[in-house]
Amino acid sequence: MSLQDQLEAYLTRTGGKPAKVHDLFRIPGGASRETYRFDLEDDGGKRGMILRRDPVGSLIDTDRRVEFLAFRSFFGRGLPVPEALALEGEGAELERPFFIMGRIDGGKAQSPFTLPPYGEHAATIGEQFFSHLGQIAAADPATLPISEAAPSPSLDACWKKELDYWEGVVDEDEEHPQMIVRAAIRRLRRNPPPPAQKLSVVHGDYRTGNFMHDGHGKIIALLDWEMAHIGDPLEDLGWAIEPLWCYKETDRVSGMVTREKAIQLWEAASGLHVDPAAFAWWELFASVKGAAIWISSAKEYRAGGMKDPVLGLSGWFTARRQDEILANVLAKLEGLA
Amino acid sequence: MTPTVSELLLGNFIALMDPPPPEAMGDFMAGKVAVTGMIAMLAAQEAERGAEARLWENNAIRDLLRQGGAEIPADAAVDKDFAICGLDRVNATLRRALIALHTEAEDKGDRTLDHAILRFYVKSADMRRLDMPPMPGN
Repeated sequence: MSLQDQLEAYLTRTGGKPAKVHDLFRIPGGASRETYRFDLEDDGGKRGMILRRDPVGSLIDTDRRVEFLAFRSFFGRGLPVPEALALEGEGAELERPFFIMGRIDGGKAQSPFTLPPYGEHAATIGEQFFSHLGQIAAADPATLPISEAAPSPSLDACWKKELDYWEGVVDEDEEHPQMIVRAAIRRLRRNPPPPAQKLSVVHGDYRTGNFMHDGHGKIIALLDWEMAHIGDPLEDLGWAIEPLWCYKETDRVSGMVTREKAIQLWEAASGLHVDPAAFAWWELFASVKGAAIWISSAKEYRAGGMKDPVLGLSGWFTARRQDEILANVLAKLEGLA
Repeated sequence: MTPTVSELLLGNFIALMDPPPPEAMGDFMAGKVAVTGMIAMLAAQEAERGAEARLWENNAIRDLLRQGGAEIPADAAVDKDFAICGLDRVNATLRRALIALHTEAEDKGDRTLDHAILRFYVKSADMRRLDMPPMPGN
């Protein structure tokens, strides 16, 4: 039975009426799950949809229910977020767990390895990008659907929860001794940040490549919430300005605006303050988290029979680039750069 | 470092060998082919410079171990196998010894050795760097 047949069977059963699937295509990106676009026809009308199905192997292990509820948390709240429609934790007709959401058409996601990624629209996109992130940080997670599935740490435990998790990933998946990552982890543990100002929804992968813009300077969809959780709002900001996402750009974070402007936009939209010492911790943490993801993808590449070149590239080239970033940050923190 | 060049090139072949299902044609397949091309391009750099980088790194770690008064593991005292995989095996042993030495230097507050190791990390990452030309933006 083809995926199209499976999808039609599922949609017909759950919709209680015949459903027809058109133009089903897998699309690149969203590496933690298989992502497909399709049009659903029922009652004579057509609607654009996205299917996100768990893969056999993945870049990262994430909780699909948390991702689903993260979409629900911000849909219809003034941010460009697709509507999450259906979640099947057991896989039903599609055999592997999945969820379906509405599709936002007319945009494109930019690879972090393009230069310049946003051309003449860089500043305009940057203003929206960091303001949207500030809006996410400002929201109270206790009032949002994501709190049904994501645990809320105490304010002083946010950093430890994340560092413990990602160090655990390195411990489990490291196949070659990671001297630079280990040094960074030790430094983070020796110099913990102050407690979070508040608890926020942390997107977890808010960066170039994980949103769509319309080509004319407007962000139309914030995507890839698979690492969403509740934690310190500075975590997302540190990840968003991680140097990995602005390849060969030195004066604009994420290829958009200056670092100072990014922080200013985020502070204005969130109503929060960026404490330099706390933020330095979260910036270094972002590089450690990145390294953990690439270490994990290298292991998954081998375990999956080397069939997914994205995992191979991530576990090799991206891991090397992350090492370079980490080594330079560690040296800079000691006044050596 | 993992994965190795030979695994990546074998992986490229495997990734393109099986005909994709109908729904994986189009943009997804184009993206997959592009990534295999990037891997092949970067693999050429690794074939050119990978052994030199590892030889340099192994010797630099031995120097740091000597500087810190640490024992160089007997099975990593010299490089005898100059294939990248052979150099990597020795490198793994040396890196484990360096991680222990660096941790000890931090605990003792030995900033001279700590800084020497941090400078080595910068140089090591640079020696292993792969240069991907930026793709054109929009």
